[in-house]
Amino acid sequence: MSGRVLVVDDEVEMQRALRTGLRYHDFEVRAVGTGEEAVRESAAWRPDVILLDLGLPGMDGFATLRALRPATRAAVIVVSVMPGEKDKVRALDAGADDYVVKPFGTDELVARIRAVLRRQADLPAGEPVIRAGDLEIDLARRSVTAGGRSVKLTPTEYELLRYLALHAGKPVTHTTLLRQVWGEYAVGDKYNTRYVVAQIRKKLGDDPANPRYIVNEPGVGYRLQA
Amino acid sequence: MLRRAAPYAVAIAGAVVVTIAIGLVSIRFQVPGLSAFYLLLVLWLGATWGRGPAVAGSIAAFLLYDYYFVPPVGTFAVRGPSELLELVVLLAVALVTGQLAGSLRRTQSAAEALAADERAMYELATAALRSPEVSVALGLLSERAVRLEGVTRFALVAMDFGSAVPLAGGEVTADELRQATWSYENKRPIGVALSDGAVRLMRTSPESKEPAYMPLASGVAVMTIDPVGSDPGDLRMLAALVGLADLLLDRRRAVLEAERARGFEASDRLKAAILSSLSHELKSPIASLRAGLTALMAPQAGLEPEQRELLGDLDGQASRLDRLVGDMLALSRLEAGMELDREPHRFADLVGTALHQLRPVLKGREVTLEIADDLPPVEVDELQVGRVLTNLIENANEWAPADGRITVGASTNEERLTAWVENDGPAIAPTDLDRVFETFWSRRARGSGLGLAITKRVVEAHGGTIRAENRRRGPRFTFTLPLARIAATR
Repeated sequence: MSGRVLVVDDEVEMQRALRTGLRYHDFEVRAVGTGEEAVRESAAWRPDVILLDLGLPGMDGFATLRALRPATRAAVIVVSVMPGEKDKVRALDAGADDYVVKPFGTDELVARIRAVLRRQADLPAGEPVIRAGDLEIDLARRSVTAGGRSVKLTPTEYELLRYLALHAGKPVTHTTLLRQVWGEYAVGDKYNTRYVVAQIRKKLGDDPANPRYIVNEPGVGYRLQA
Repeated sequence: MLRRAAPYAVAIAGAVVVTIAIGLVSIRFQVPGLSAFYLLLVLWLGATWGRGPAVAGSIAAFLLYDYYFVPPVGTFAVRGPSELLELVVLLAVALVTGQLAGSLRRTQSAAEALAADERAMYELATAALRSPEVSVALGLLSERAVRLEGVTRFALVAMDFGSAVPLAGGEVTADELRQATWSYENKRPIGVALSDGAVRLMRTSPESKEPAYMPLASGVAVMTIDPVGSDPGDLRMLAALVGLADLLLDRRRAVLEAERARGFEASDRLKAAILSSLSHELKSPIASLRAGLTALMAPQAGLEPEQRELLGDLDGQASRLDRLVGDMLALSRLEAGMELDREPHRFADLVGTALHQLRPVLKGREVTLEIADDLPPVEVDELQVGRVLTNLIENANEWAPADGRITVGASTNEERLTAWVENDGPAIAPTDLDRVFETFWSRRARGSGLGLAITKRVVEAHGGTIRAENRRRGPRFTFTLPLARIAATR
């Protein structure tokens, strides 16, 4: 078994499709239709990943997320048909680990689930060096190398890259970056992050059209490729 | 007439009474300068009625004193220069004191009138501002105005978003409403003017009873003023009332506009709620379809390659349906006038993100960028402009030959950024250059016909323009985007 997945979706057809699809990829799957059941099931069964649809009847996805978050160590992937990016940002800021937009293919979903599981396994690192691909960040010496080449960053650029690297693979919202790198006063001025990310990309030799390190999540923020 | 003559009668009677009093006193005592009693009378007349009665009183006093007390008594003749002097002094003093007392009285009565005006205005303004319903306050104002001398009618017409609405002061005929509208729209008063803080009538004939129109910021005052019976003080008061009406109509307009804005907001929220529920209803079945179809494509499902291929085709159809639904919802959102989330962005980053998203579609085809590194930021909705770029680049990718080139470029001037997407595929027929942006018009058999329509609407929602043209190398789409208002400082 590669992990336990709790599917929270009110559409029975969706539940059945995901149960079948994820079992073919060696996941153990249970499915529930409401937020209340999700909270109960996550405490009783202890899943590794919760797939949470935001458009639940009754207790909605955000309320469920808030109820789940303190009680479970499971990674939460939010699922939504809403094209509005504000929901994604809200869910990430409320503690979701990732999001997937409906409709999605099973392969895409499996890749996302594996990524959050891998991140969970990597978490208790505590190592002085963070690695993401050929990017290395030495926290003790505050130095960065990309493909073995040393990169000179300003303190702001370093802080931003460090924060992304600590959460490699996870989308980090503009708000979180502004709060973590600049402080509460800077929240709202997203051009700060855009400008600094452009500078980091230039120094790392990263092409936004074909990014090796920092991927833009339109309307949300950035993700450092793990 | 009687009222105006009365003070003169009193003046003459007073002079007679004083003459009798002086006569009675001088029978008993020899008192010099008894004529000073007349001055008391003149002073009193001047203070009470003004100069006219005072002068009348002093002339009567002069004549009576001369006749009864100045020797030779019983005639108007004067014997010596000292008696003449006494008479002249009496007359002069009487005239001067009468004049002074009169002007004092005028000043005082003017001050009283002004104070009364101010008190009335204050009371009216307080009542008007306290009353929650502006039309009630306007009614009070109109009632106050017709109590003024010479004002027979004072109606107020509000101009609400282009239509004239009578609010206070009784009926207004259709013809009068037309005149009021004309006066408002041209900001020109009819038959009346405001000068030196008073309403002045501008009449071709003094008998004219036609109403006068005074345009205000949010309405028109329609007044009928009798040119003969009006009084200058009252016309000043009328001007003050017009000013107050102006303020009240303005306040009413502000309230209406706030209500209207709330109404629009509510209907925007409703539209957004309908579209989001529609989006959920249309996309949920597609989501289940795709999840189920792709689940069965896993090797563990144990299907034959031929069956897996069929599932792949079906999933492709489901994706196409999803895209079509997404495009239609996006178009509805744009047509419903949804708010844009505009922020400063580097155009190069927007293009980079679009190219990153299109990597599966471009299948390794290189896109040439002609975008300078130091372009100032644009102020746009990232997701919507992302849609513009993906639509145009995808379109170019479909038309460019297999070994053809796609170029994305941009340049700026002071006001805007001009961007283009070009490919070296076949030219667009000249008659189709405008039609490509029409809804449901497509050059391809399987195109939704929505992509370029959405593109055009997004660009226009940003205040930009878009056009298609045939260049020497191939078709080019050029569009403009607004620059960020505050250029980045770092």
